[in-house]
Amino acid sequence: MGIQQFRLPDVGEGLVEAEIVSWKVKVGDTVKLNDTIVEIETAKSLVELPVPFAGVVTELLVAEGETVDVGTPIISVQTAEATPGDLAPSAAGTGAEDMVPSLPDGEEIEAGKIGGAAPGGRTAVLVGYGPKTTEPKRRPRKGGSPVAAQPEVVPAPVVAAPEPSVAKSNEISGSVHVLAKPPVRKLAKDLGVELAAVTASGPGGVITRADVEGYSAPPVSAAGHIAAAAPVASGLGDTRIPIKGVQKVMAQAMVASAFTAPHVTEWITVDVSATMDLVERLKNDKAFRDLRVSPLLIVAKAVTLAARRTPIINAAWDEAAQEIVLKGSVNLGIAAATPRGLIVPNIKGAESLTLPDLCAALNNLVAVAREGKTQPADQAGGSFTITNVGVFGVDAGTPIINPGEAAILAFGAVRKQPWVVDDEIVPRWITTLALSFDHRLIDGEKGSTFLADVAAILEDPARALMF
Amino acid sequence: MAKISLGKGINMGLRAAMENDSKVLIMGEDIGKLGGVFRVTEGLQKDFGEDRVIDTPLAESGIIGTAVGLALRGYRPVCEIQFDGFVFPAYDQIVSQVAKIHYRSMGKLKMPIVIRIPFGGGIGAVEHHSESPETLFAHVAGLKVVACSDPVDAYWMIQQAISSDDPIVFFEPKRRYHEKAELSEDTANAPFPLHQAKVVREGTDATLFCYGPMVKTCVQAAEAAVEDGRNLEVVDLRSIAPLDLATIFASVKKTRRAVVVHEAPLSLGPGSELAARVTEECFYHLEAPVLRVAGYDTPYPPSRMEEEYLPDLDRVLEGVDRVMGY
Repeated sequence: MGIQQFRLPDVGEGLVEAEIVSWKVKVGDTVKLNDTIVEIETAKSLVELPVPFAGVVTELLVAEGETVDVGTPIISVQTAEATPGDLAPSAAGTGAEDMVPSLPDGEEIEAGKIGGAAPGGRTAVLVGYGPKTTEPKRRPRKGGSPVAAQPEVVPAPVVAAPEPSVAKSNEISGSVHVLAKPPVRKLAKDLGVELAAVTASGPGGVITRADVEGYSAPPVSAAGHIAAAAPVASGLGDTRIPIKGVQKVMAQAMVASAFTAPHVTEWITVDVSATMDLVERLKNDKAFRDLRVSPLLIVAKAVTLAARRTPIINAAWDEAAQEIVLKGSVNLGIAAATPRGLIVPNIKGAESLTLPDLCAALNNLVAVAREGKTQPADQAGGSFTITNVGVFGVDAGTPIINPGEAAILAFGAVRKQPWVVDDEIVPRWITTLALSFDHRLIDGEKGSTFLADVAAILEDPARALMF
Repeated sequence: MAKISLGKGINMGLRAAMENDSKVLIMGEDIGKLGGVFRVTEGLQKDFGEDRVIDTPLAESGIIGTAVGLALRGYRPVCEIQFDGFVFPAYDQIVSQVAKIHYRSMGKLKMPIVIRIPFGGGIGAVEHHSESPETLFAHVAGLKVVACSDPVDAYWMIQQAISSDDPIVFFEPKRRYHEKAELSEDTANAPFPLHQAKVVREGTDATLFCYGPMVKTCVQAAEAAVEDGRNLEVVDLRSIAPLDLATIFASVKKTRRAVVVHEAPLSLGPGSELAARVTEECFYHLEAPVLRVAGYDTPYPPSRMEEEYLPDLDRVLEGVDRVMGY
């Protein structure tokens, strides 16, 4: 219970006074919320005012015909409950008290007054519901975190690019960012080229389309490629290609391996007709429905099986500790020629994968490598490597072991050749396998056993049951 | 150190300007006895009198026309347009006279007029009370257009605007009038030139360009983007005409991605000019086109729908997603 006073509100913007024209209620009347109680005349118009609370009228504080300031109490009502929050926003905030400075300057402002609290987590203003005071919350994002959903769109952290050639762009931007026009950035992205590593030849250190294309040419053929592109190669003298990026890494790795590990290479020529039949059958097997099955899959499987019998093949020489490390699992590396050069991503724990899973892993590894998106982690921790030189049409070679591993298998081209079967010459699918191994760990017997095992499985895949 | 609201910052700035220069007058609807509908001019008429704090008739064209005459006679009028949507009756005076007299007189006559306009939405108000007409002025040669975004800037920028010999349209973010910040009163001079943009949050991945009410929104978006692993820079433009291109270009060359955020409608808004300038000057640096997050090309909606119209945290973050997606 309480007596509520209703103050003359500002019904227009900036009204300061109004005349009470006529009362619609008298003392003792019962009023409901929003009943019309009075008619007033302002500078703008005649207005009927509703009462912002319910109860019994106890007093009319202003006589008809009188002009009073906005904020002057004009009526008292005995209400059932005294809740100032019931005050309609229009009735609030323009009381006579507002004429004394009420600008917020540290102290709290009374609810309902300008700058004070208003219903719904807002600040009271003269016109409108008032600005929200609640802190905005973000909506849940579709598809989870954008970082997780589309990692490729997040810019790679700008690794300090100490390339001297890029430095000349810095005088313009004062930063280490590279300069390139959007189509060149797109090209670099498509080719998997890190722009920061490209030498800029354009004015002001801008990387041109030719810079990216030149950089992305496979290192092995780069010299020929550039020479061929040059209009008069003979008259232009030598082409000098900076050694960097993937090429530099490859060079260091090969030097480290070739002049540290004493390499022995053995090879074997094998009839893989049964493997080719198996590949054809697997292509039609529903377990391999969406997968690309190739002879390389069977070679990979054979390697993991043969390594079980000859674990020293899947090992490492730890010079510092003077120990040989037999690896717990086969992290099977596949040498891949990419637009950026040779890289060797590996399949972790290949020996534990089923054939369809191994196939899927191989497919994925190749796809990622082709897009140039192979991550450093994919290339680390390999324990054995297969290099599929057959795709280039050659029969065999003397592969150099990936540093940190003990052996590498080169898989040559599979082609129809005359082969002696039961004393008759018949056309068969023939390939050559070449195994290079580190003779510090692996002796001729172990290496030969492993290679013969792989060949035996390829010759008759049913033998895999014996491993 | 006192904590003041943005409205109080303007009030204190006006008071300081009037104390420092007796030629400074303020005029507008309900600004005297009432103290303005947002109480921004509260107490000024009491202290400086009705000759310097003038309650005008409800006629915006008359307010500005009168100010032109006063300016020609050596006064420095500060005109309040009560709400953004009320400025159009005065637009002829502003464009045809205020903006042109200095040029027309070959520099002999100055127009040191400040036109204060509370702008933007977010207070749940009726039609004509939530608009963002800043480009309509920024496009007019001879006018300078600025917008404050926080109490300290409000305090200093209004004084800088009043002391400028050029006419300045001064936009005040009405929904931020009650936001508070510390004002150090022992600083004698404005800490920042009036037409210089300010990096309010340093970042590396993209820059959010904004002004007025969107500065707070953008800072909140930048804080939210941290959880996405993104470090956003926020630049408060402060001056829309002229744009502080040096600061803008430096930020874009650093972050290589830009999103412009404003409440004003998208097409031909301030973001359009900024995007064009950045594209011209920072083309080789850009990883993505300059994107805009803005109000829609519609009339400002009824107040219950304004949250759909106004760029908010999510709209800004969606813009960031887009600009990072290139």
